[in-house]
Amino acid sequence: MTPEKDPISGRETTGHEWNGIKELNTPIPKAFRLWLWISIAVAALYWVFYPSFPYGADYLHGALGYSSREAVQVAVAEGAATRAEAFDIFETKDVNELAEMPELQAQFEGEIAVLYRDNCAACHGRDAKGQKGFPDLTDAHWLWSGSPEEIEYTLQVGINSAHEDTRIAEMPAIGRDEWLEQAEISDVIDYVLSLSGQEHDAEAAARGIDLFAENCASCHNGEGVGGYENGAPDLTDSAWLYGGTRADLRETLQHGRAGVMPAWSDRLSAAEIRKLTLYLLWQGQGDGNS
Amino acid sequence: MDHAKLERNGIAFALAILGVASIGGIIEIAPLFTIENTIEEAPGMRPYTPLELAGHNIYVREGCYACHSQMVRTLRSDVDRYGHFSLAAESMYDHPHQWGSKRTGPDLARVGQKYSDDWHVAHLAAPRAVVQGSVMPGYPFLSETRLDTRYFSEALTAQVRVGVPYTEEQIANAAKHAAWQADPEAEYEDDLIDAYGDKVQIRDFDGNPNMVSEMDALVAYLQVLGTLVDFDALNPEEIAR
Repeated sequence: MTPEKDPISGRETTGHEWNGIKELNTPIPKAFRLWLWISIAVAALYWVFYPSFPYGADYLHGALGYSSREAVQVAVAEGAATRAEAFDIFETKDVNELAEMPELQAQFEGEIAVLYRDNCAACHGRDAKGQKGFPDLTDAHWLWSGSPEEIEYTLQVGINSAHEDTRIAEMPAIGRDEWLEQAEISDVIDYVLSLSGQEHDAEAAARGIDLFAENCASCHNGEGVGGYENGAPDLTDSAWLYGGTRADLRETLQHGRAGVMPAWSDRLSAAEIRKLTLYLLWQGQGDGNS
Repeated sequence: MDHAKLERNGIAFALAILGVASIGGIIEIAPLFTIENTIEEAPGMRPYTPLELAGHNIYVREGCYACHSQMVRTLRSDVDRYGHFSLAAESMYDHPHQWGSKRTGPDLARVGQKYSDDWHVAHLAAPRAVVQGSVMPGYPFLSETRLDTRYFSEALTAQVRVGVPYTEEQIANAAKHAAWQADPEAEYEDDLIDAYGDKVQIRDFDGNPNMVSEMDALVAYLQVLGTLVDFDALNPEEIAR
């Protein structure tokens, strides 16, 4: 069992022998070994320069005093400063002034679209055209008015949101809470269908007029045109947030609606909210009349 | 080399293996002995309510973690997109924690109150109906499955065993508290606030007032993620470590 020299390669064997077969004791190539020692040296250097092990009630801070949390706070502040400079105009002017400057669209729309897609597109769609339950932001129909400062305010505080100053708008569950009989609800539905010029039963609609005046007009207005002061939708147009068919209307009257727009003032900066307001104005007919 | 010596001394060789193999273990376990100063003081942080905890368990059961992380990393791109980087304190009551480094979907550490309940319900039922090009599978059965609250007290007890400070009263009333949190009338709001603080969100999360479903639990959980800590009240020096 003593190592012996292999006459052909000139290397030593391991000294083992299995049925006459012996094994050369060849070391791993030098380059591999060098790489291993370099890795170990780098690890040791890393321990010296960067935070490594817990140590009593503290930890080893390393010679450079590096902290990823400090570093990211610096990087984020730098980014915010760069943006504040590049988007200077959104920091200094209010939305009404900005809305008077159509030339901003060509300059900033591409950048703001990223912000829109990150935060708004999930509900309102990439094209801002909305979907059932989430309003179309490109048309002229606004629940809380399409004026720049009202859009900005909605973005800040939300609708039925957790924000303390939230806008509040709730369609009561008229059927479920038994405000009206089912037959009466049918009459109101026919009247509402008549308001938007849809097919309806004229007799039932006539019976619905008084019911509507007593129960619905306080929010939706006597003519059913809604109002910006309480976010009640216009029932005479062709825009329906939850659908305008007889079945959709029955569901709305039966179970009520209270759609939620989240508040963004804690999540986005004032300038970012201003940018998004402008973005929405550019997508559609902002003032609701044009 | 000295193969011969090592190979012929079994006990020394076994001890050497043990020594080398335990290095990894020591590096992983040692920080746990100083966990008190690893986790920041984070005002506002509280254990999950029973309904939120049930949502967490559904999240784990359905494997949401395979595509979604819950950890905003200390990278500018992460902080710019998702908000303040995650604190250790924010996952101190997560068993198991939901950190991760692989994202097929977005990070969810701060998704709470970013979208409406209606959106979550519509999105979980049929992701592509609301998000164009999404690759997320649908979970429509959650709305139809009644939440099984029979073993909620036991579920809270299990959390206590791994260090979550639920009180006797919270454990005893777990099933009741879950039902109260999803009550559209919020009849027991005061009792829930007494038990879990004033940030507890009480409403009918899934849009079906007649049943407390698994959808209620999951949406209640998603809506609380990242919303508990009061970031203005943090000690910036401690947070910067």
